[in-house]
Amino acid sequence: MDSIDESSNLFNIESEKLESIINSALAKPELSISEIIQIYYQIMNVTSLAALLKKQLSISDTMTGKINDSLKFISEKFDSHLHHSIMKQLTNSISNTTKNLTFGNTLEKSKEDVESEAKLYEQLRQIMSTKEFVEQYDKGLSND
Amino acid sequence: MIEDITKNLINLKKEFAKLYDGKSQIQEIIPVLKSESFPIIQKDLDLLHKFAEKNPIYYNFYEKLIGNTNCIVYEGDINKYWLNSIQYGSSHAPFSPTWIMSAYVGVLYAKELGYQEIIDIGSGDGRIAFCAKVLGLESYSIEIDSMLVELQKLLTFLDFHLYCSDATLFDYSSLSLLRPIFFIGGLAQMGGTTLASGVLDKINSIPNLKKNTGWVFAGSYSQKYQPDPKNEAGWGTLIEKNDLHSTHTLSLPTAWTFHEPDETPYIFAKSNI
Repeated sequence: MDSIDESSNLFNIESEKLESIINSALAKPELSISEIIQIYYQIMNVTSLAALLKKQLSISDTMTGKINDSLKFISEKFDSHLHHSIMKQLTNSISNTTKNLTFGNTLEKSKEDVESEAKLYEQLRQIMSTKEFVEQYDKGLSND
Repeated sequence: MIEDITKNLINLKKEFAKLYDGKSQIQEIIPVLKSESFPIIQKDLDLLHKFAEKNPIYYNFYEKLIGNTNCIVYEGDINKYWLNSIQYGSSHAPFSPTWIMSAYVGVLYAKELGYQEIIDIGSGDGRIAFCAKVLGLESYSIEIDSMLVELQKLLTFLDFHLYCSDATLFDYSSLSLLRPIFFIGGLAQMGGTTLASGVLDKINSIPNLKKNTGWVFAGSYSQKYQPDPKNEAGWGTLIEKNDLHSTHTLSLPTAWTFHEPDETPYIFAKSNI
């Protein structure tokens, strides 16, 4: 099997995986941070493979069709829909957690309270850095 | 003596990091008594403990024997100050403190170099300014974040000069400085360069002050930051651009290097003039 065949096979596997992840995500009201990261990772995986294959002159028309279908799926289901829902979810989550933590700041706390609240701060940092990452993707869309 | 204290403090920190099993966000230690390893005036040590005990960032403390040194362990949390700074964009760099013992050793070295005034830029809870006062130096603390300034007001029992101000806009000529040294808060890679450049511009514009002024920059060799082409733990380009040269580096423990094998390099620099 030559390297184009290998890449084509890999593209088929990864794009099917992406389709399944996105369809499953669309059915959920909210996604966990790890699910969000997994989706963006898979999007990058598939789009990079698509870009690589499109540079090859010898790929078949069937493969070109598959690549175009996959990119259309990403554009319609993800870029125009799920990506915006994720941005909204992260923004709301940051706002709500910040509000709760700010409110709690005025209260006297025990050692246990402080250390348990520190976990919420860690979560907030994680959500914020995920949002930064998602915003980078958004900037890429605006530049397209 | 300072080199020995620094070496012993690093060893103590490494020992403490191995033993520590608590869950606090930040933690540090201060020896209880003057010793051969820490030949520090007892009155000064007592004041450092008082600073930590009164400081609301610490919510718990206890005595522990670390190596051969009896210490007090202080456990703290600075999350609410971080949240405040990101909510209101009130600072150039998020607050994360050096150790109180490190602040003391850094200022002790500055004093040995002959500097008369310490200006703690982006002073956080004001520990460097406080240590300067403990060591009998004139001391100024400049902090932009009003929440941290309110915290410092609880700790000014030694009466250092506290200003809630943007250090890049502050009028330093009003302080009539003679032989100052500026401790710049924040790593070069975390907003420190912007802060330092702003203060350097201000000092360079005051006649005859540049050649008498010292600078201390908190550096990092962490691989997570892009290295500065001129080195100096992230500060090389700024040092060269401002016609300075580094004279010495003190490696000292800080809150952000507690879990790291390397300490924070404090780069002491002065003018080439």
